[in-house]
Amino acid sequence: MKTLNLIALVAALACGSALASQEHVVAQKDKSFSTKKLDIKVGDKVAFRNDDGFSHNIFSLTDAMPFDLGTYGSGQLKTVTFSKAGKFEIECAIHPDMRMVVNVAP
Amino acid sequence: MIKLHLPSRASLWCAVALSATVLGFGTATVWAEPEKTQTQVHGANGALLPRDSKDAAVFRGGLVYANYCVTCHGINADGNGRAARLHTPRPANLRASDKNDAYIGLIVRKGGEPLGRSTGMPPWGEELTDEQIGDVVAFVRSVNAQSHSR
Repeated sequence: MKTLNLIALVAALACGSALASQEHVVAQKDKSFSTKKLDIKVGDKVAFRNDDGFSHNIFSLTDAMPFDLGTYGSGQLKTVTFSKAGKFEIECAIHPDMRMVVNVAP
Repeated sequence: MIKLHLPSRASLWCAVALSATVLGFGTATVWAEPEKTQTQVHGANGALLPRDSKDAAVFRGGLVYANYCVTCHGINADGNGRAARLHTPRPANLRASDKNDAYIGLIVRKGGEPLGRSTGMPPWGEELTDEQIGDVVAFVRSVNAQSHSR
């Protein structure tokens, strides 16, 4: 009985960790995103971290969940929780050449 | 020599079209070299305009505007850029602005927040040179003047 309870507990913990949302970090450095493409799941968080010595302003016009993080300076970090599935095109309002895609799976 | 991130082809042509509409320019020559960009502006008669002339500043400012400002303030400088819907208050309608050149330059350089205005306006002084700021102010003044003259 104790063995069964232990197995059930381990199984529950394993399922829980698989379902828990994850946090990803995307750095802005040299007026570029640290990755051009990021694949995540609904509920995951993406932290946009400014590793440059000047401000960035990250936004997305994707209809599923448009957002604007506002201007934030060097060393600061802004986090977005992607609560909708879809393909999110991410841009910087200050640096027009900065672009990346976040693919959010259901 | 001005520091200018070479705009995308689409935004470059938007700037040329914008400035041609505003000033009636015949042609413009823009070419890029590694790490630098030179802009020479020709008037409608083909003559090269002096670099420090108002008309040349307006044209160069149109390039800056097309590269950095059009996303929020729109191709018609009326505050209806594609990102305008993200902001409350909406980006300013530059055609209807009642601000003088010095104040416009201050907003561009410092951003909106230090001046008690929208936090959606970034501090462009970190990205643009003094000449680019002066040029974009000249461009904004030109579209503003045209709007008020109608």
